Amino acid sequence: MKQILIVDDSRTVRDSLKFFLREGGYEVLEGSDGVEALDVLKTARPNLIITDVNMPNMDGLTLLENVRNSPEHKFTPVLVLTTESQQSIMERGKSLGATGWIVKPFDSQKVLAVIKKVLGG
Amino acid sequence: MAEGKKINQYLTFTVSEETYALNVLNVREVLEFSQLSKVPRMPDFMRGIINLRGSIVPVIDLKLKFSLGRTEKTIDTSIIVCEMIMEEETIVMGLLTDSVKEVIDLDENDIEPTPYVGAKIDTAFIHGMGKKDDKFLIILNMEKILTANELNMVSSAEASGE
Amino acid sequence: MDQFKQVFIEEAEELLGTLEDHLLNLEDAPEDRELIDAVFRVMHTIKGSAAMFDFKGIVDFTHVVESVLDQVRGGDLSVTRELIELTLQSRDHIHEMLSAPSDITPESESRSRELIGEFEKLTGRVEDKRNKPPAAGGEEEESFFSLYRILFIPDRDIFFSGTNLIALLEELQELGECSTIAYTSEIPSLSGYNPETSYIRWEFFLTTKASLNEVKDVFIFVESSCQLEVTLLVEGDREEGEGEKRLGEILISRGLITPDDLTGALKAQKPVGQIMMENGLISRSDVESALYQQKTERKLREKQGSGERENTIRVKSEKLDSLVDSVGELVTAQARLSQISSQYDDPSLNALAELIERLSTELRDNAMGLRMVPIGTTFSRFKRLVRDLSNTLGKEIILETKGGETELDKSVIDKLNDPLVHLIRNSIDHGIECPQARLEAGKRREGTVSLIADYSGANVVIQIRDDGAGLNKERILSKAREKGLVGVDEVLTENEIFKLILQPGFSTAKEVTDVSGRGVGMDVVSKEIESLGGSIFITSTSGKGSTISLSLPLTLAIIEGLLVRIGDEKFVIPLASVQACLELSREERELHREKRLFEFRGSMVPYIRLRELFLDRRDLPLREHLVVTQTENGIFGIVVDEVIGDYQTVIKNLGRLYKNLQLITGATILGDGTMALILDLNKITALAKVESSAGI
Repeated sequence: MKQILIVDDSRTVRDSLKFFLREGGYEVLEGSDGVEALDVLKTARPNLIITDVNMPNMDGLTLLENVRNSPEHKFTPVLVLTTESQQSIMERGKSLGATGWIVKPFDSQKVLAVIKKVLGG
Repeated sequence: MAEGKKINQYLTFTVSEETYALNVLNVREVLEFSQLSKVPRMPDFMRGIINLRGSIVPVIDLKLKFSLGRTEKTIDTSIIVCEMIMEEETIVMGLLTDSVKEVIDLDENDIEPTPYVGAKIDTAFIHGMGKKDDKFLIILNMEKILTANELNMVSSAEASGE
Repeated sequence: MDQFKQVFIEEAEELLGTLEDHLLNLEDAPEDRELIDAVFRVMHTIKGSAAMFDFKGIVDFTHVVESVLDQVRGGDLSVTRELIELTLQSRDHIHEMLSAPSDITPESESRSRELIGEFEKLTGRVEDKRNKPPAAGGEEEESFFSLYRILFIPDRDIFFSGTNLIALLEELQELGECSTIAYTSEIPSLSGYNPETSYIRWEFFLTTKASLNEVKDVFIFVESSCQLEVTLLVEGDREEGEGEKRLGEILISRGLITPDDLTGALKAQKPVGQIMMENGLISRSDVESALYQQKTERKLREKQGSGERENTIRVKSEKLDSLVDSVGELVTAQARLSQISSQYDDPSLNALAELIERLSTELRDNAMGLRMVPIGTTFSRFKRLVRDLSNTLGKEIILETKGGETELDKSVIDKLNDPLVHLIRNSIDHGIECPQARLEAGKRREGTVSLIADYSGANVVIQIRDDGAGLNKERILSKAREKGLVGVDEVLTENEIFKLILQPGFSTAKEVTDVSGRGVGMDVVSKEIESLGGSIFITSTSGKGSTISLSLPLTLAIIEGLLVRIGDEKFVIPLASVQACLELSREERELHREKRLFEFRGSMVPYIRLRELFLDRRDLPLREHLVVTQTENGIFGIVVDEVIGDYQTVIKNLGRLYKNLQLITGATILGDGTMALILDLNKITALAKVESSAGI
């Protein structure tokens, strides 16, 4: 089963994402900010990382940089959660190596569609 | 049946050979007289506390309360565990009695108001007088057995030392 | 979704609490970037989560607040008192919307508009994006098959964005009939080949019902890391009436696909996991990876358990209460077991009893620990109170807190809130002077109210300290006499005089203010604190300020005690206050008989004979034991007949009938089913002091 790491400081978002992803047949790992995510990534090799941008301790874009700089995860797809079509964040994300983004609010279909786009069917 | 009977059940017991009755709604259970722990600096009639399956229940010696002497332990000595509402709190306490008799039916209409019994006992906690087999029963008013005044006495007894 | 909605509401409430803290801190440090970021982040998170659960009223409103905060974050707007005030009000408004059955009511809308209006005044103009365009993927104009040519040249480093080209091709193929040409000419020879680089150029011919934008959407994530050309070669014909047909049917009717293809495509609509299975994606290595994952998840869980970051679950406090109750019963049963085992000389029974004792101690500590909560959260709640009160009263007050990490039983903390509110109000209202008066008195303009918590033996002491005018002893006393609270000849200690302010119906304020001074409430303080088994001590220096100390037991349920005997009765002395156990020799008994003193570590210490306090005075046992204790009233010796030993004690309430009993805090059931009373040493020693000074 493919494994997805979700990183968000909002428990609501994590819980609902987790629910959708499990329904979609994915394994889910969690982190509540960049620091925790990096900790998880020390031992885990998820197929995909979904991260929020605004988080305490370490934001999503810094996490992204760290992921891209790590030999184990440099090719791991990273989806960035943004609230609206925050063009600037998407662009910064892309330039830092984000694979794509998911726009909040999201529903299960939207999330699974984007993930499929990135991970393939 | 014209006035409509209001039958209530009462538990009867004796204190100094006098028969008393208590509405069974107040009664939880009857225990043998067991080990009592005395709580210091309390009025004498507060005989102490017992362990009722893990909860602490205070026991009141009715004989001392009625100023009729102290209840000594005999084979018949019993503790009636009863509950009542006091200042919106349910209070559980044990009444130490010489013996527990039976449960009887009494018609509320047959209960007479408290007669004047002299200065010997305070009548506030007497609900009325009933009759069973030509014998008089003193029906107790649970809620009035301990007055707020007596509770305050507890602290004043303490403050005055011995 | 409803289960998430509840989670969202809980979380949002937490976030609002955090927001309030941040805002209040920001007020003191308006330049603090981290705080500004944190405030923005909280608002952002609330909005994001609210959007997922259709709290449209909250989303629309927070959006505006967020955009204002974004300006602050960008340095276009500075943090002012007005901004904080407005944001605090917004916080309250969001809270209101959350608690209401619906977040969109005429009232809430008008309040939102009002607050947004205020923000606009502050910022000039606020971007109000309340009529957002509908999200992408809305109703598209109906279209028919078109042919596109797509030229796709990924950047060489495209893999470094985690892009999976296969997935991209698959997505394209799902849109319709797609023929693909891969140009591999740029792939170097093996020696120069870098597997992390993309060398292939792609060309696709796609026949699809999708619009140009939908085709481009396939590449939405890679737009910036490739060259992309999408050209419409043949535009689809509109065939009236055919719109109702299903895509698959049309495809078949056009001979583009076979019915088998359709079945294949329909399969793809099954859950992704199943598709992966069906596509043979799960292999031996997947099994290995799953095992690996299981291992890492377990590790992760362990780490979460010990990790520094708080990883919490919510438990109803009733559940904790019942856990603690059961543990209490267990401890009692264990005590009985230990007692029984001590009567038998059976090594295996004794070992087992010891094991159970150790385990139940551990379990007890853990269970109690679950209920321990740091007082800091309670403290920080008062920031708002202090702030609002000082504004109302025109005073300038700094709230300092110390020892927020001090932990207390949750049940104690819950009951502490109201008394603290009253005490803080009182300090601010009566204690701290107006800025003018303070300056005249040669003090700093701002008054300080400090909340300090610290451990002290088995107690936690919480102090409410102010550097205000101090209590006026004479005024309190004359007022108390006037009200008949104190007799004319009565002589009171300083503490007793100060404590009069806690009496019902007592108020020294010359004028009744809105804040306090109605004399209602302060008596609640002493009632609550006493019901918690705590005590209050007040010190005050005229012109310098006052300190109110609340001494509270760490926990209400279990204490470590020293079991002692007097006559036939057993008592428990809280172990935390025990300093030493000595034998009181006959000589010593004779030596200072009158003064009732004994020598302890070089100084003379008074002792109290419980036998005299509780039983007859006369018949002293041959030998007595002396337990040296540290109390509020100093070091005291407690003389008992016998010290039995350490005892873990589950405190049982004595109930309403013993409510006024001062010397005993509760009772406990011993292993053999009998009971012991738990002594309140502070009260006992205080009483002894009174009695000895009265010459009894």
